[in-house]
Amino acid sequence: MPPLKSLQHQFPSIDSNLLHFCASHGIFSVEDFLVHDLYMLVALAERQTSSKGLKEGIAQVLTFLNNQHFPWMNGVELLESTQHNKHFLLTGFDGIDTLLCGGLCEGNLTELAGPSSSGKTQFCLHAAAHVAYTYMCSVLYLDTSNSFSSKRISYRVNRLLASPNKGEKGRSLEGIMSSILSHSVFDIFSMFETLHQLELSLSSQAEIQNSKLRLLIVDSISSLITPILGGKGPQGHSLMLNVGFILKKLAIDYNLAVLVTNHTVVGEGGNSKPALGESWKSVPHTRLLLSRDQMSNICNMSILKHTSMACGQTASFRLDG
Amino acid sequence: MESAREWIKCDESAKSLMDRVSMERPSLLLPPPLHRAPLCAGNVVEIVGPSPSAKSYILLQAAINCILPKEWNGIHYGGLERLVMYFDLDCRFDVSYLSQSLKRRIVRAQGPDSHSLVEQDTHLDEVLFLACLKRFLYIRCYNSLEFLAALKTIRPQLQTESEGHGIGVHFLMFDSISAYYWIDRAYKPLSSAISNRKPFSLQSITEAVVQELRQLLQFHPMLVLATKPALLGLEFSACHITRKQSSSPSATGMLPLSRGAERFLYREYMPSAWQVILFLVDIA
Repeated sequence: MPPLKSLQHQFPSIDSNLLHFCASHGIFSVEDFLVHDLYMLVALAERQTSSKGLKEGIAQVLTFLNNQHFPWMNGVELLESTQHNKHFLLTGFDGIDTLLCGGLCEGNLTELAGPSSSGKTQFCLHAAAHVAYTYMCSVLYLDTSNSFSSKRISYRVNRLLASPNKGEKGRSLEGIMSSILSHSVFDIFSMFETLHQLELSLSSQAEIQNSKLRLLIVDSISSLITPILGGKGPQGHSLMLNVGFILKKLAIDYNLAVLVTNHTVVGEGGNSKPALGESWKSVPHTRLLLSRDQMSNICNMSILKHTSMACGQTASFRLDG
Repeated sequence: MESAREWIKCDESAKSLMDRVSMERPSLLLPPPLHRAPLCAGNVVEIVGPSPSAKSYILLQAAINCILPKEWNGIHYGGLERLVMYFDLDCRFDVSYLSQSLKRRIVRAQGPDSHSLVEQDTHLDEVLFLACLKRFLYIRCYNSLEFLAALKTIRPQLQTESEGHGIGVHFLMFDSISAYYWIDRAYKPLSSAISNRKPFSLQSITEAVVQELRQLLQFHPMLVLATKPALLGLEFSACHITRKQSSSPSATGMLPLSRGAERFLYREYMPSAWQVILFLVDIA
C-alpha cells in the first residue's frame, strides 16, 4: 500500500495540509490509515481551521481504499460469473472424474495427499497430459522433487493420439508436449518468485493466446513447506499460508485449476493423515486421499473434504505402464 | 389522585406491544444449533470447531433462511426476506452449493404436490430464485489490507443496497475470521523514531476490525456470525494431544472440546480485542 504522498497527483484534495495533519497523528501511509479510527480523525479534523479541505481529503483516501478490494457482488452476478468462467477439466480417469462431478474444477485448489509411491506423481503427469491434449491449452508443472518425467508424458500422449476417437484434431506429439511447461523449484522463496512471475505474465496477457494456461500442478508442496514448519516462531506457518493464498488467488482470478500434492504422516491411532497440520486444512477447496494396494496398479482415492459434497466417497483407478 | 390515576392507566395494549417489539427486535430464524441461544441483532457470535465440522454449512443455512421470503405466490417459505453480507476471507465459497441448497429449499417448501405444477410455475420459481440470490451480497479478500479496506468502506455500500432493495441487512458473516492470523502474526513492526505511529501488527489489525464492527453495529444493528477453525493444541505436535475425560479446564487454560466420544484440548488464539466483543463461543 503506497505512502499517502504518492496519492497526491491522483487525488488533488490530498494536499500538503492533509499530509501534515495526518503526520501529526502518526499516519504516513495507507496502511496507517487502515488501522486508525477514521471517525475520530474526522472529528479531530473538524476542529481545524481548514476542516472542509481535510474532510474532502479523507473522503478521497476512502475512495482510493474502495478500489483496493474486490467489488461487492450479489448472488446472481456471482453465479453467472462462476458458470461462465469456471469449468471442469477431465483428468482422464473416468472413475475420478465421476467422483469429482466432472474433474478438476477451475478456480479451486485441489490437494492430493498420499503416502510415498501411492501414485500421486503418476496421477499428476497423467492429468497434465490429458488436459493438454483434450483442451489444447498449456499446463504448468512446478516440480520440487525432480519427479517430472517427460518420457511418461510422451508415452501417455502417444496413447491418446493413437486412440480411435482422436477426431480431426490433427495434433502432433511435439505440439502437445511443448504446451506442458515444467519448472523446478527447490525452496519456498523461489516458489514465491515463480508464482509472482506467473501472476505478472498472466495479468499482462491482454488477448487470449493460442495455448492459454488452465492447469497448474505443484508436486509436491509439502516438501517445500515441511522444512520451514516447526520451531517457535510464526514464520513457517505464515509462509505456508502465504503460498496457499497466492495459489488460491491465481486459481480464482485467472480461472486455473490448481493441483498440489502432499505427503502423509501417522496420526493418532496409527491412521495416516495428510501432513502440514491443522492450519493447512483451511487452505484447499478439495482434499483427496490416495492409497494404493500393494503389488498392484490399482489406486484408491477418497474425498476428505469438498466444498459441495459429502466426505468419504471413494473411487478407484488403474495406473498403466 | 390524578397522578395515581395516570399511573394506573395502560400505555399500550399487548397487541401493540408485540408489534413494537417484533419490529425493534425481529426474530432471527437461525438454524440449529444456534436457535437455542438468545441472540438478537447487535450480537457477535463466533462459531468454532475443528476442520471439517460444518461451520460454513451453518452460515449458509442461516443465509438461506434470511434471503428467502416469508410468503410468496401463496406458498409459505418462512424466511426473513432480508439482506445478507458475506465476507469470504478464506476464499473457499462455493456459489453453486448455495444455489443448489436454495433450490432444494424452494422445492421442499412447495410440498409433495409440486410435481403437478404447470410450466408457468417453473418460471415463477426462477424469478423467486433470482430475487433471493440478489439479496445475498458477497465479497472476497485475500489479505488483511483488503479486509480492512472493505470494512472501512462498507457503510456507503450498505446504504446503497438497503435503499435499492428497500430492506435492511440482517446478517454479517465472516468465513473465517482467523484466515490471516498466521500471516499477520509474522509481521515485524517497522522500528521508527516516530512514537505515535501505530505498528501494523496482528494486535492493531484486530483492534481496527473490532472498532469498525462496533461503530457499524451502532448504526446498523445486525447479527454478526464468524467462523473460526479450532487449532488444536497450538504448541504441541499432533501426537501429544491429550485426551481428558473430565470437563474441567486444565492448568494451562485449555478448554475441552468434545467431538463424539473423544475430547480434545482447544486453546483460544485470537487476540483479546476480538474476544471481548463476543457474545458467546459456540463449540461445534
